[in-house]
Amino acid sequence: MKLSSINYLVGKGITSIWKNKMMSFASFCIMLVSLLMVGLSVLASVNINKIISGIEGKNEVIVIIKDDSTDEAIKALETSIKDIKNVDKAVFYSKEEAWESMIDDMSKEEQELFQYTDGDNPLPDTYKVSVKDIEKMADTTNRMSTLEGVDSVKASNEFADVLISVRNIFSVIALAVVAALIIVCLVIISNTTRTSVFARRKEINIMKYVGATNKFIKIPFQIEGTIVGIVAAVAAFILTMFVYRGAASLIQDNYHILTILGVDSLYSFKDIFLPVGVAYLIAGAVIGAIGTTISTSKYVKV
Amino acid sequence: MVEFKDVSVTYSSGVDALNHVSLKINDGDFAFVVGSSGAGKSTLIKLILKEIDATEGTVTVNGFNLKKLKRRKIPNLRRTLGIVFQDFRLIPTMTVYENVAFVLRVIDAPKKYIKSRVPYVISLVGLAHKAKAYPEELSGGEQQRVALARALVNDPQLIIADEPTGNIDPALSYEIVELLKGINECGTTILMVTHEHDIVRHFGGRIININAGSIAFDETIGGANEAQ
Repeated sequence: MKLSSINYLVGKGITSIWKNKMMSFASFCIMLVSLLMVGLSVLASVNINKIISGIEGKNEVIVIIKDDSTDEAIKALETSIKDIKNVDKAVFYSKEEAWESMIDDMSKEEQELFQYTDGDNPLPDTYKVSVKDIEKMADTTNRMSTLEGVDSVKASNEFADVLISVRNIFSVIALAVVAALIIVCLVIISNTTRTSVFARRKEINIMKYVGATNKFIKIPFQIEGTIVGIVAAVAAFILTMFVYRGAASLIQDNYHILTILGVDSLYSFKDIFLPVGVAYLIAGAVIGAIGTTISTSKYVKV
Repeated sequence: MVEFKDVSVTYSSGVDALNHVSLKINDGDFAFVVGSSGAGKSTLIKLILKEIDATEGTVTVNGFNLKKLKRRKIPNLRRTLGIVFQDFRLIPTMTVYENVAFVLRVIDAPKKYIKSRVPYVISLVGLAHKAKAYPEELSGGEQQRVALARALVNDPQLIIADEPTGNIDPALSYEIVELLKGINECGTTILMVTHEHDIVRHFGGRIININAGSIAFDETIGGANEAQ
């Protein structure tokens, strides 16, 4: 195809947006709502995943160190623990810290009872270990329990299993919702453009009689769909920015909820605006182009 | 050149539209196709345009064997044809110039050629002064002339005119046929479908009469204008 023809087809696609402004506006609105639904669902799912990961991070494994271990042995154990691939952090928690913390948590009466223990501290030295992948928790605890100087390992495997199930179920639901929204979006867009194509079926018919190829007939519609998709993507991005910032600040205001859940903060829009923007642009352009391709196919066949 | 060899068409509804039709229209011919409604005239045109396929027999148009022609090659066939419809079928959102230029754009013609060819063809049909007008601003006769210019612009080997005078005043009808005759004199084959016997009698020439899916009459007669 010659460059002049490409210019002509692109120009035709752009002018027909204006000539069919009501239809273009309808496509734009539907695309905007669809993209917003998909975009906000994805953002919600990304943040919920972050919250779940935060909760997972809180699920610590307690490694109890043998009472007779020397300082060198305790240091060596830290290295061995950190050598295990799935270990994220290992923080030493001395028996003295544990004792103080226990006393602090007691009521005054209980504290009085414990003041006559003569400094005899029955609590062990421990490492508080957090793991990277909660799914490998059982394997990691098994490996830690075999390490030199370890008395025992305490981990809540049941809780880990619950978290894994929650995350898996949530991932499947999120994926299904996004896939369903994309399909609904494609169907609606192709139906809207079908109306626009139907309105121009005479023009298409004439094009076929004078020897236009299918490609030549389809390209202006696809350009039109792509441009409407991109404009809708830009509008969806701007709206998402406002909605996301509003929702995030509402949640951050109740900061303690996030702290309890083990999350410092949600993703800030500044951190995710680039992938969100690119995803919107690609989704808008692709959905616009595919939607119009589906709808033109019926009328374009020579 | 159009050649039908023992062509039959039976629609899926069971209707026999054409029965063993054989006919040849040579390059440079001017032929009227006449017949009552439902006689098979439209089927004949649909076959030439490859909108439908023959149930039996072979159709050859401008060197294309339509039986063997692949679907994606249909545009190549149609680029050798010019078509004029009864209802003009102009694009209302385009000016006269754009309606005509559109055909050349479709076939990927160079921009320079479009710029010189389109005004020339518009002037041939006598509408140079209305090149910037939209179809709704033109009379029926003028719209049909634009359609004629559109059919002519890609210099086709064959022009098919399907009842081109059906929607215009009788006086203007003669002008349209005169234009077609002029185009024919320059070497383009013309196949004009009509049911207006006055026009056929006036101009004369080759007349193909289709009746109930068969050719009832295919002869050349002298026209009244030749007698004058």
